[in-house]
Amino acid sequence: MAKKKKRVGIFSFTCDEGCSIFLVEIFNKKLAGWLEKIELVYFLSIKDHTDAKNMDIAVVEGSITSEEDKKRIENIRKNSKILIGMGSCAITGMPSCYRNNLNKEQLKEISGHLKKFKFLPKCMGIKEVVKLDGEVPGCPMDDKKFIEVFEKYI
Amino acid sequence: MHKCDLDISINKLSKIEGHADLDIKIRNGKAREVNLRVEENRRFYMQAVEGKPALAAPQMVSRICGTCSVAHLTCAIEAVEKALGVKSSEQTIIMRKLMMYSLMIRDHALHLYFFALPDIFGIDSILDLANNKKELIHEALHIKEAGNNLSNLIGGRAVHAPFEVVGGFVNMVDNKKVKPIVKELKSIRKYVLNLAEIFYQCQWELKRDTNFVALTTDDFSFLEGKICDSRGTCTMEKNYGKRLTKVVMPYSQAKGFEFEGSEYMVGSLSRLNLNQGSLREKTKKSMKKYLKLFPSDNIYLNNLAQAIEIMHSIDHSIELLENTEFKKEEIIKPKKQNGKGVGVVEAPRGTLYYSMEIKNGKIKKAGIATPTAQNLLNMREDLRELVSGVCQSANPKNQWEKIIKKQAERIIRAYDPCMSCASHFLKVNWK
Ligand code: SF4
Repeated sequence: MAKKKKRVGIFSFTCDEGCSIFLVEIFNKKLAGWLEKIELVYFLSIKDHTDAKNMDIAVVEGSITSEEDKKRIENIRKNSKILIGMGSCAITGMPSCYRNNLNKEQLKEISGHLKKFKFLPKCMGIKEVVKLDGEVPGCPMDDKKFIEVFEKYI
Repeated sequence: MHKCDLDISINKLSKIEGHADLDIKIRNGKAREVNLRVEENRRFYMQAVEGKPALAAPQMVSRICGTCSVAHLTCAIEAVEKALGVKSSEQTIIMRKLMMYSLMIRDHALHLYFFALPDIFGIDSILDLANNKKELIHEALHIKEAGNNLSNLIGGRAVHAPFEVVGGFVNMVDNKKVKPIVKELKSIRKYVLNLAEIFYQCQWELKRDTNFVALTTDDFSFLEGKICDSRGTCTMEKNYGKRLTKVVMPYSQAKGFEFEGSEYMVGSLSRLNLNQGSLREKTKKSMKKYLKLFPSDNIYLNNLAQAIEIMHSIDHSIELLENTEFKKEEIIKPKKQNGKGVGVVEAPRGTLYYSMEIKNGKIKKAGIATPTAQNLLNMREDLRELVSGVCQSANPKNQWEKIIKKQAERIIRAYDPCMSCASHFLKVNWK
């Protein structure tokens, strides 16, 4: 019997989506082969009908800046055996967490927005909020390293 | 006539770059409120660059958008160069054109195949294409890869290209690698013809009289020229910001823009409406049948326009690559440390504007108008038009809501909006 395909989801949090765009470039050469081993159950905004439950691998990018972000990542963590962080935002929060370094005056300027949209007191990397099983550093992430980490789990 | 009163909500629009929701309140057949809410969390790059070295700012703002990072990078570099009196070499300009072309090829292909095609074939995602159409996936990946390889050759990477800086490129193009890239670019032309035919066959239509605005360049290179509109006026790049007014959109993390006091459209459709004469001759010949449809008020033709632009980007890149012997050049250093400058380029989704005020080599103030933010009000008016059309149509009343929902998503998608970009806007109006 053919081996059951790994259920994989790709998710984006607060960032420029540069790592997932870079991932889609990696797909140019790799997707066809990977689809023999994986099923994409959640693919950013490319699919309408998605079910992000019981995943084997979730691949995530970005930072956690709002209450909503935090709820979502905790939920994804619960629903996935393996969590791989793409890029330096996921690991350290930077560069998407620049707001942590703004001066007092600038913070005052944006404070209304932070409150209105329920931003957290501090912006964080995903790694600070939940456990990452695999990490791919870089901005954008290093492509060879991603392939190595991802292929280890599929 | 039936009474058309509906409250429509679409939570998380799919197949667009980033996160947005839509609410439409319809009373008496008219869209009383259209709230297109950008839900992309703001990252405050316009604040973050303040006080940073001007030479480092472009790589920073490149991180505003991973999708079109090359456009942000190139445009911010232009603004800094103008502020500090740097005049780039001819070779640098050729390389920047090639970078913009590589971006158009990759990014338009991503939008057309991954976001727009599923609507046309009535499927959820491109991965669900029926077996007899599966080759389209390979064609999509092939086109994207050719664009990606061109980005790598010139800029070192497709996302946040490390070689492109103020004053030039830090790495020299390896002339030996040019030939295979040219060959690859030639090999994808036939796929682009297939793609254009699909959008040509698509009968969808939403026409509305609006103003089309674009940076028009002599060689359709997206880089340097005058900003013109379909009402017949033109502006120099440095004065563009003065003609824009920022508009608050309730409940949204983004703001919209008016041009000369009304909504307007930027993007591929505008560029083709205003400047199709500047396309490459080879492109004009191959795309003759399709080019006859322009100029047009039909927003859906934005997608066909994107396909035509992929072809132009391929054809002009081939010419530039075949006619350039790349040489090593020094980076040109700024002559001064203070000044104000404006950069304008045509990003895939339309006109992108940066203004930089620099003091002692550091950014004092930075401003930006992204294409998606500029299109928000035009989308809103298109959605109103859609609603009145459907409410007056012969469709059974119990279908109205379904039809409006489906077509509203399609219309928004036709613009290829990018919400990461939309959440960045000018802090101040530069008057
Ligand atoms: S690490 Fe860089 S490329 Fe990746 S999401 Fe963050 S800002 Fe974008």
